[in-house]
Order: sequence, then structure tokens, then C-alpha cells
Amino acid sequence: MFVYEKRLQYPIKIQNSNPALAKIIISQYGGPHGELGASLRYLSQRYSMPYPELKAILTDIGTEELSHLEMVGTIVYQLTRNLTPQQIKEAGFDTYFVDHTTGAYPVAASGAPFNADMFAVTGDTIADLNEDLSAEQKARLTYDNILRFADDPDVRDPIKFLREREIVHFQRFGEGLRILTDKLDSKNFYAFNPSFDKP
Amino acid sequence: MSEEQAMRRRIAAMQFAMWELHLFLDTHPNNCDAAKKLDDYKMRTEKLVKEFEEKFGPINETPQNTSRWAWISDPWPWEKEGN
Repeated sequence: MFVYEKRLQYPIKIQNSNPALAKIIISQYGGPHGELGASLRYLSQRYSMPYPELKAILTDIGTEELSHLEMVGTIVYQLTRNLTPQQIKEAGFDTYFVDHTTGAYPVAASGAPFNADMFAVTGDTIADLNEDLSAEQKARLTYDNILRFADDPDVRDPIKFLREREIVHFQRFGEGLRILTDKLDSKNFYAFNPSFDKP
Repeated sequence: MSEEQAMRRRIAAMQFAMWELHLFLDTHPNNCDAAKKLDDYKMRTEKLVKEFEEKFGPINETPQNTSRWAWISDPWPWEKEGN
């Protein structure tokens, strides 16, 4: 089960609104490499994990991603306070605003809404863990791209924190994959599915 | 930064260190150094939380550990004032 703790994982206090930036950052809320997909990916993949270390790491990282979803939502929320219609129009935020006003809707920056096609749950430990490693890198590069467009330190600071977490998660998933491969049959390293092909 | 805010941030930093050690221990369950460090952070955090709560009231509220009025009070975490 889950219990909500009434705090952010990392503080966010943005003084100036910036709807153009919010329009880009929303991609990490509901885009292809975003936190919602990350969380659903790990929390769904964990059921077929064969070893305790892997069940634990997917549960914990999947849970941390939910707190990152909350942080991205918070950034979008704080960037869209007290806007005038003119600001909304000039920032190109009008195409989002018309459907969602300033609510946080899971959508990519390009406008495509969140879709579970953005991630896989294969039931195969090797395939899933390799996808997780890739997913962490894709999220990291998206934060790198966001940093190219963000010059407000109030925004850059929490985005850098989120970027750093992707790197740590990549490391932990790498260790998970190593724990798995150490337990595989050395004559059949890559073509063996320990969760399914039990003797 | 007010004293309350500074203390809040110190506690959050300790909790972050604890979370980081917790994740590390998922894939290194036999690492005694990390486990010891985690215990140490736990003790120091508990002390700080107690100190904070005596001065400023509840922190890190969950539905289980708080009163209904504290729970519904502003600010919520996504609001600037809550950070």
C-alpha cells in the first residue's frame, strides 16, 4: 500500500511565472520519458522479478518516481501562476491552456497525451531490466534538454536534482542486472528467462 | 531563510541521505558500512524531528501521524509557501 507524506522530495520555490518553460517541462509529467511512465513501468514490472533485490529496487525506484511526478507537477503549477491572456498567447501556452487551463495534465511537450505504449512490461527479467537502464538514460537526456532552455535558477535547481536521480537509478538498475546475470547459467547467458523457464 | 525553514531543509537533507542508503542497500544487502550509516542517520534525524516538532508543530505528516486539522491546512507541498 501507499501512504502520502505531505512534503516534496526536494524543495521547489519558483518566484517568476514562465508558461513557455512550463510547456516544455510538462513532457516529464506525461511525455515518452516522463515520470508517470517511469513509475508505472517499474511498479508493474516488479511482479515478475525472480530475486528479492530486484523486487526491492523496482518497488523503491517506482515509488521514488511518484515523488518525482509530484515535483514536475509542482514546477508546472508554480510556473503558471497569475498569467495574463497576453502572456499565455505570447508563450505559445494557449494550445495547452484551451483544454487544461493551468491544471497539470499528463501530456508530452508536442501535445500527445500520456499513453502506456511509452513503456513495456515483458515479464522477462533481462528484457525489463535493460529497458529500465535505457529509460533512465532517456529521462536524463530529457532533463539535459530542459536545462538548455531554462535559465531561471529557481527552475534549474530542482531539474538538476531530478537529472541526478536518473543517474543514480541507472547505477542501481545496472547492479540489479549484474545480480541477475551472476545467477544465470554461464552456457546460456542471454537466452534464458529465469522467471518463466523454471525446471 | 527563517529558522523553521532552515531546520525543515536540514531534516529533508537527512531524509534524502537515508533514502539514498536505503536504495543502495537494496542491491548491496550485505554491506555493513552502509547499514551502519543508515542507522546513524536515522538516529540523528529522529533527534532533529523531535526538536523541530517541539518548536513548530508536526512535520512530514502522513494521514496516520497527524490531526485532521493539521492535515487539511495550507500550504500543500506544491505551493511555494510549503517549501
